[in-house]
Amino acid sequence: MKAVASSWLRLLASARSTIRRLSPLVVLLSFTAGVLAWAQSPPPSPIKVVNLIPASLSGETNQDSEPFLAIQNENPQVMVASAFTPNPFSMTGNAPVYVSQDGGKTWVLNAITPVQRMTCDITHAMATGENHPRGDLHAGTLACASGITLDESESNDVSLSTTMNVQSTRGNVDQPFVRALGVASGDRIYVGINDFNQASGRTATIDVSVDGGATYKSIPIEARKTAGQDGPSVRPAVANDGTVYAAFFGWRKFDGKTATSDIVVVRDDAAATGANPFQVLKDPSDKLPGRIVVKGVSIPWSNAPAIGQERIGSTLSVAVDPNHSGTVYVSWADKGSKGDIYTLHVRSSTDRGSTWSKADLPGTTIHNATNVALAVANNGVVGFLYQQLAGGRWVTHLAQSHDGFMTARDFILATVPADQPVEQFLPYLGDYDYLLSVDSEFRGVFCANNTPDFANFPQGVVYQRAADFTAKTLSDGTGNLVPISIDPFYFSVPVIP
Amino acid sequence: MKISPLFIGAGLLLALWGAAKAATPQVTDRAALATKSSIIFSGTVSQLAATSFAEVPKSSQTIVVKVDAIAKKPAAVSLKKGDNVTVEVKDASAFQEGTHATFYTDGWIFGSGVAVKELGHEVGTAGAETVPAPPVEMKAHGQDPITDQELLDRMKASDFVVVGRVTDIHKWNVPKPKSGAPSRVTEHDPDWHEAVVEVQSVLKGGKVKGSKVIVRFPNRNDVAWFSSPKFAKNQRGIFCLNRDQSTGVPSTKMGGQQVNVYTCLGHGDALPISDEARVRALLKNQ
Repeated sequence: MKAVASSWLRLLASARSTIRRLSPLVVLLSFTAGVLAWAQSPPPSPIKVVNLIPASLSGETNQDSEPFLAIQNENPQVMVASAFTPNPFSMTGNAPVYVSQDGGKTWVLNAITPVQRMTCDITHAMATGENHPRGDLHAGTLACASGITLDESESNDVSLSTTMNVQSTRGNVDQPFVRALGVASGDRIYVGINDFNQASGRTATIDVSVDGGATYKSIPIEARKTAGQDGPSVRPAVANDGTVYAAFFGWRKFDGKTATSDIVVVRDDAAATGANPFQVLKDPSDKLPGRIVVKGVSIPWSNAPAIGQERIGSTLSVAVDPNHSGTVYVSWADKGSKGDIYTLHVRSSTDRGSTWSKADLPGTTIHNATNVALAVANNGVVGFLYQQLAGGRWVTHLAQSHDGFMTARDFILATVPADQPVEQFLPYLGDYDYLLSVDSEFRGVFCANNTPDFANFPQGVVYQRAADFTAKTLSDGTGNLVPISIDPFYFSVPVIP
Repeated sequence: MKISPLFIGAGLLLALWGAAKAATPQVTDRAALATKSSIIFSGTVSQLAATSFAEVPKSSQTIVVKVDAIAKKPAAVSLKKGDNVTVEVKDASAFQEGTHATFYTDGWIFGSGVAVKELGHEVGTAGAETVPAPPVEMKAHGQDPITDQELLDRMKASDFVVVGRVTDIHKWNVPKPKSGAPSRVTEHDPDWHEAVVEVQSVLKGGKVKGSKVIVRFPNRNDVAWFSSPKFAKNQRGIFCLNRDQSTGVPSTKMGGQQVNVYTCLGHGDALPISDEARVRALLKNQ
């Protein structure tokens, strides 16, 4: 049975329970009134939460963790999402992505990445410079077989089954993170990478292409001595005027359990097209490129479950106001205060990264949380997506603020048991999730326990896969029960005024 | 002797069609097709140059088929009698509305419905085929059984296939390079361990030097390695081994001698000893 969950069903369930206690006449009146009320009820909540697993894969039980999202800005009905979802029919077929062509209402799985079966990292972006209405999807993928291989690849039409065209490939790297900007001359692509091929352990790197991926140039962005390497997360952010920021963890010490790290931001004002990109933002302390937002924070590193069933060690996000490139936000997780496992912080700059708020923005020190993703909407409102372990549950928040978090609105998108299902591998939910803004919406993806239970999704939810919200069970579409697992969820939330 | 479900499925198919038709010279092709196909079903063509759900690109090669019976499908795929499936066929002129056929296919697009690509088909009279017994469910998950074809492919790509017993397990640290470059810290760190495997017989690959081999394996449960076999002391099994091309240190000293080191990284590279007959049969019949 294909189940579509919405607030309507909740109303029905509630009505049924009330009706049982009332006389037949009252029942009739109530029902009539109810129907009239429904007919005149306001439109459904503008907040949309959708389970990405298609109906035809209702039998799957994979740990589809670490989600990512790309939106075709010129045609935002088209989106591509990804997760650690294996090819559903072949051990040797291509790893798939999820594609929506109707603004996120429905999603299909299309096996088009250049990686066999399943990626072990994937991020992507859809720029619009080359005028492909269902492209251009630019992806950075890691294939993990006997070694780890990065592919930087492109699809001009994500609705087709054509395997993405690999434009650049190399090994010895970690965690590609793709952003892109479409301009008249083509697509500019920025891939944050922890590149172990770089000299002297200065591994934080941005791969830059200014010709739609035809050629890439690897640009090291770490100027200081490291503890042999930087942290895995290297995050670019691109404004409409071509300003490109990148944030990274400058690891200064590492003892196997804790990294002592600077939070560093670099900037380029010419889309990284010049001779010496990412050099303009210098720190006053040593005059070296890369502004140190915070110096020497302690970041716990655990490649085993540390917060709930999730690992920790490299949570970072940076976002720039698309229309006012001087305003930029950065968020990271560190040890925080005593007793906390992992604490999020958000800081901001309004002078192009030259100076930063001295303390966390109000209300943005979030204890026992991870998977931060920031985005700034066209009206300057900043979105702050994170997942917090609270009361034995993973709670997914989207906070929004138009005044630097002096005031904020918090939307809880999901609150699910943290101990179920049992992890199949790490990461359990992901080393990241993702948030973007388009027009007047924040759109994003997160992963969660997929039990079909309204109480777990306070804003409502739609499942494509077969689900029974009354029994709170999943089935394979032919009536056989399917165990719960981790699924990716897409959401859309209106930007606050 | 353990026979894989896919083998049974392929046999079932042969039996079914064998009953419906006289034996044909294409039996071998049919079996090969069945092995290669991830989704096999019989059905009736209901529309030409059409698709069964919106997200599938429509072309002259796409037809809609109403499913009569399913012989093989991945467990994750929801497909049942009466469903409409989009098939991208090789030669659309071979089909008309009402054509009844068995379709050997691979998955294509999964949405509100299923779209597949034809690998082959057999035209038959509607109703001629008996509805098969419960379909063979092929799982694609990393921890699920490997199919015969996949196992054969793995063995072909292996330097050695051995029957053996694990006598020791220990952690192995990648030596620091002479250049002084530090080791890497990533979430995908494999946490290499070494298993000492006492070789009892060699099924493929000639003589192994000595009676024991060193097999490196990732002990980490990271997404990059969770499908790789994890070894345990006293484990007996069949191991598909390749010379170590992953760690950068392809040999080591054992018993005072420099010996090659092997890895065993792929899904299905370590099989329980109960699979020995299956492995021997596959190697013999390849």
